[in-house]
Amino acid sequence: MFTVTIWGDRGSMPTPGPDTAVFGGNTACLEVRCGDRLIIVDAGSGIRPLGEKLMREDIKRGPISADLFITHTHWDHIMGFPMFTPIYVPGTKLHLRGPISYEDDSLEKVIGTQLSYRYWPVRQDELAAKIEYEQIKETTIHLGDDIFVTTKYLNHPILCLGYRIEYEGKSFVTIYDNEPFRNVFPTDPSDPNYDEDAAREGEEAAAEENEKVLRFGSGADLLIHDTQYTAKEYLKGKIGFGHSSYEYAINSCHKARVKRVVLFHHDPNRTDAELQELELFYQARLRGKTSMEIEMAREGRSFTL
Amino acid sequence: MANSDSERRVRDYVGGMPSLPTTVSKVLEVCNNPKTSPIDLDRVIQLDPVLMGRVLKLINSAYYSLGSQVTSLVRAIIMLGVNTVKNLALSSAVLDRVSSKKDFRALNMDAFWRHSLCVGVTAKLIAKRRGIDSKGLEEYFAAGLLHDIGKIPLNNALADDYIRTMSLADMERISLVASERRVLGLDHCEAGEVVAQKWRLTGAIADTVRWHHDLEGYSGEFGDVLRTVAVADFYANREGIGFSGNRYPDKVSPDTFGLLAMEKSMLEELDEPVNAEIEKAKVFLKLGG
Repeated sequence: MFTVTIWGDRGSMPTPGPDTAVFGGNTACLEVRCGDRLIIVDAGSGIRPLGEKLMREDIKRGPISADLFITHTHWDHIMGFPMFTPIYVPGTKLHLRGPISYEDDSLEKVIGTQLSYRYWPVRQDELAAKIEYEQIKETTIHLGDDIFVTTKYLNHPILCLGYRIEYEGKSFVTIYDNEPFRNVFPTDPSDPNYDEDAAREGEEAAAEENEKVLRFGSGADLLIHDTQYTAKEYLKGKIGFGHSSYEYAINSCHKARVKRVVLFHHDPNRTDAELQELELFYQARLRGKTSMEIEMAREGRSFTL
Repeated sequence: MANSDSERRVRDYVGGMPSLPTTVSKVLEVCNNPKTSPIDLDRVIQLDPVLMGRVLKLINSAYYSLGSQVTSLVRAIIMLGVNTVKNLALSSAVLDRVSSKKDFRALNMDAFWRHSLCVGVTAKLIAKRRGIDSKGLEEYFAAGLLHDIGKIPLNNALADDYIRTMSLADMERISLVASERRVLGLDHCEAGEVVAQKWRLTGAIADTVRWHHDLEGYSGEFGDVLRTVAVADFYANREGIGFSGNRYPDKVSPDTFGLLAMEKSMLEELDEPVNAEIEKAKVFLKLGG
């Protein structure tokens, strides 16, 4: 059995309230089950209710053991970690992997600083769980039990990894947080900053990097993609923020022959009504043109691959 | 002085190596401007060997497991983003404010900067004229710009000894690298290797830094870049463009020109384009002279 459950899909900041009750207000957290193995992607505020479920159900079968993959260390992807109850329970084993940016601090320090006296009543040293931290780059990891996790750098203002999890011949991919690579050098010869070599190389580099991300998601059975903005919003003032538009995500996933796309990392200002409207709009646009299925991420939604 | 003591002091220094004083005010101006264009960022970094090395370290340490080195600054800016590169440049420039420019040093940094830039520009021009693919040209530039990077820690961490090193080279009319070995027990190629390791540079750039005064001893795969930089270094010294302390450089053997399949006379044609590039850089940095 290979399943994926969404525990948090909101971007940037938790957004509780009546306007987000349907699609959800918790930040990124995904529960992936490969047979008996538990894999968690990201520790946004959605990891808190996941932790509660593990304490209600899984603990009956023995101590919690999980592989936790962090896409990047921006706050909305790690903020739930101190409220993940299993870390306070003796016997819990966590293997936490993720990229860290260009600072010299370790992953343990970057994540664990949240558990320091000034921010939180319990210090990292006082946690009962056994937690192993591992900084990772682009690589393929064999988790055992025929589960393979491949990573790919994405385009975000901090180092950020996409994950491709393969099990029983099926594949699940995350491409968030990600903005399409773009040539930041002017290509118009009349621009006073035009430089022929830089313009050409910039075009090539951006195209090649986008192609690599596309290949990474190629043929996925389920792909969760960053779609914080509409194309119009993106062009109107969100370039360089590190996120994709619905249009880019849908088009690139179609090119990569993805089977099902889940639109994820909702903008914190986006209400349920707006998300519903956008979902219907894009689904209608695609009807009859592709076999690829798309839907908005909803908290609590599960997929079986 | 024992070799190990020199090496230890060099290693201690390399971690916090600042930007060159020649470029630092322009780095601050460009990077403190929230509307800086990527092309200005590209330009200002290309003019500073320390900054260039640090940006390449950043991209290659982040993407270390990819196997292939990124040696192009344009690609690094696209992959890392303008803001990351700007912040790195700023932190490098600010370091410079801590180190006192008033301290007497053996090497004049303006002249050193001009030499480094000249070798980078010349190496790229030679490669272009020899028909090297345009995708590979930046590697020639970067290797040339950075080839003498080992002199910066020697000049700063071993300042007094480096003055003696340069005096000995002048008095005995020997090459600087030979004098370094005698006085310091460590030459700038070895010091450069320490810098390259610290910055995690490998491939053509690291090999050029390490071997540009020992072409015969080199057996690696980047001989073409290495020899081109050696020729460019010879040209910069001969023409007196900038100064990196080497008043009596070793000659470049005819074999080197032969292996590059180039005539020595090609160098005569480079005067105009090299000077034009250096002039452009001076205008950009608002330098006099």
